[in-house]
Amino acid sequence: MGLQRKKSHVLQTTKKIGELIMAYFSKASDAKAQGKPVAWITVFTPVELLHALDIYPIAPEHFGAMCSARGFILDYLEEAERGGYSENLCSYSRCSLGYVLSGMKGIMPSPDILITFRNSCDVYVKWWQSLHMHLGTPLFVGEAPYVLTLDDLDNYVLDYVVKQLEQLVEMAEEKFGLKFDMEKLVEIVKLSDKASELWLETLELRRFRPCPLGGRDSASDIFPLVVMQGTEEAVKFYEELLREVKEKVSREEGVIENERFRLLFDGIWLWHAFDLIKYFENKGAVFVYEPYSDAWAYRLDASKPLESIARKVLAMGLNVDIDLRIERFVESIKEFQIDGAVLFSNRSCKTWSTPQLVTADILNKNFNVPYLLFEADMADPRQYAEAQIKNRIDAFLEVLGES
Amino acid sequence: MYVGIDAGASATKAAIINKEREIVSYSIVPSGINFKISSEKALRKALETSHLSLKDILYTVSTGYGRALVNAKATSSEIICASRGVHKLFPSIRTIIDVGGQDSKAIRIDEDGRVLNFVMNDKCAAGTGRFLEVMSNILGKPISDLSILHFKSSKPVKISSTCTVFAESEVISHVSKGSEIEDVIAGLHQAIAERIYNMSSRIGFEKDVAFTGGVAKNQGFVDALSKKIGSNPILPEEPQIICALGAALAAIKKHKEPQPF
Repeated sequence: MGLQRKKSHVLQTTKKIGELIMAYFSKASDAKAQGKPVAWITVFTPVELLHALDIYPIAPEHFGAMCSARGFILDYLEEAERGGYSENLCSYSRCSLGYVLSGMKGIMPSPDILITFRNSCDVYVKWWQSLHMHLGTPLFVGEAPYVLTLDDLDNYVLDYVVKQLEQLVEMAEEKFGLKFDMEKLVEIVKLSDKASELWLETLELRRFRPCPLGGRDSASDIFPLVVMQGTEEAVKFYEELLREVKEKVSREEGVIENERFRLLFDGIWLWHAFDLIKYFENKGAVFVYEPYSDAWAYRLDASKPLESIARKVLAMGLNVDIDLRIERFVESIKEFQIDGAVLFSNRSCKTWSTPQLVTADILNKNFNVPYLLFEADMADPRQYAEAQIKNRIDAFLEVLGES
Repeated sequence: MYVGIDAGASATKAAIINKEREIVSYSIVPSGINFKISSEKALRKALETSHLSLKDILYTVSTGYGRALVNAKATSSEIICASRGVHKLFPSIRTIIDVGGQDSKAIRIDEDGRVLNFVMNDKCAAGTGRFLEVMSNILGKPISDLSILHFKSSKPVKISSTCTVFAESEVISHVSKGSEIEDVIAGLHQAIAERIYNMSSRIGFEKDVAFTGGVAKNQGFVDALSKKIGSNPILPEEPQIICALGAALAAIKKHKEPQPF
């Protein structure tokens, strides 16, 4: 094992994503030059509303992932550490703080407004407040209560979030003299819904054997869903992606030629060690499901735009009860015929990593799905022990092969 | 003959077995920085002991940290090799605790020697042989003396840091405050035992339990870990060659397979 290299492929559409990301970032500077406000957002902020207001959203989390993937994140992490921020803090937050401390000379233009919602991540608010302290830029903090049952998506909790969306609109109108246009929002909501529908349909096709879309595709292709939701470009991208994946399914063509193991990946990807996915693929293992990949896809109802967006703010990512998350895991085991789970315990993301063992035990005891848990950091390459992690992957796949 | 080579972070081990799966000979040499050289050396030594030559070898499997750099027909992970090796010697074993030069692991196996679950230490030397090496250097005592000194201790000191670097300064501070060297050594053994116990508790200690790896040769550490687990483990005669033995057993299996994987 390990001596045979298997050919593995990323999709043609995925190959275009790098360019799309770069274009999106450079257009932010153009927008700013034309006097359009740029917002730094956390990734679970409802961008539909911002696009409707003509505010250009960019996500420092994306910037962190990109710097990590391209190998220059240490410039910013070390700048933050020189400024006194501890190495134990979230690496995305350290990257953006280091970027600010070093004078924001990169691809991400300085913000005119900082917007975050307290959903999913526990650090968001304090992180955005720190940026606010350094930059003095106006700050909007939205608050989304934790979703305990699906009823919360329809009761007073929803009204509470709608009210805050209205406050965000008021603040933007007042600060930047913008005029909110409900008709424009309706159109944007339709486009956002369409992109989510296309993406979800694409992910469903991973049920096929061999799996037509792998981890490297799913990790890259979510970018437009996060910041470009509500744009024609995003819809176009997902149409093209779906078309390509459907063709692969009809040709019975998989990510790898000889699919031996179908795996679930739980966590944020390791951007600095992205080739780890290929390492699995070379050994005949393909990722077919990740909770990360459908975290941003949410169907919207254009007849109730604000309620619909508020529901999305609530239901996104990790803002829902663990039981609801586990339900989805369990469904995936059956739907995607999963042989094993790979859990990445991420030093940066305590919210994601803390409940992982509980989930893993349920998968293991109830469904006999073996799992591998390893520790590293999503963006900080210094927290990664390559030889030891690969050693563990080898052992895990060998065990899967024998069972 | 079938050969297993375990290219570990600190020692390279070779085991030769016959087709009846009996150990013919073995050797242990320091790994140094070149696994290719150390593995050739280990193999040569094992061949010499048993008066065999290279042409007697039908199949070789390598394992360990440097397994990809060894001249072998196939590789296998240490987890599988440790399980196979232990199961061959002691079929009643259900839990293996292996402490090597650079990593430590706990493995649960079933009655057929198949791996049920395993845990390994992360990218840190605490809880490994390397930790003891660093400490023995600071204390100016050779590794081989640690065990004797351990049993002379009457009140082991408490080492609270799990980080090798921090533990180093803790050790220095204990010594400068007048603690006896043997109490510091016993304290270090307890600290590692505790760390390994915590890591292994995740998968449990179903009996029988075996200790393997180079650090299992240190009776002082074995004493500390046994007390922590609350039972006496089974120790192979030569705990350091178990993975190499497992690799040699894998070589027999792979040699029979028409399509090696």
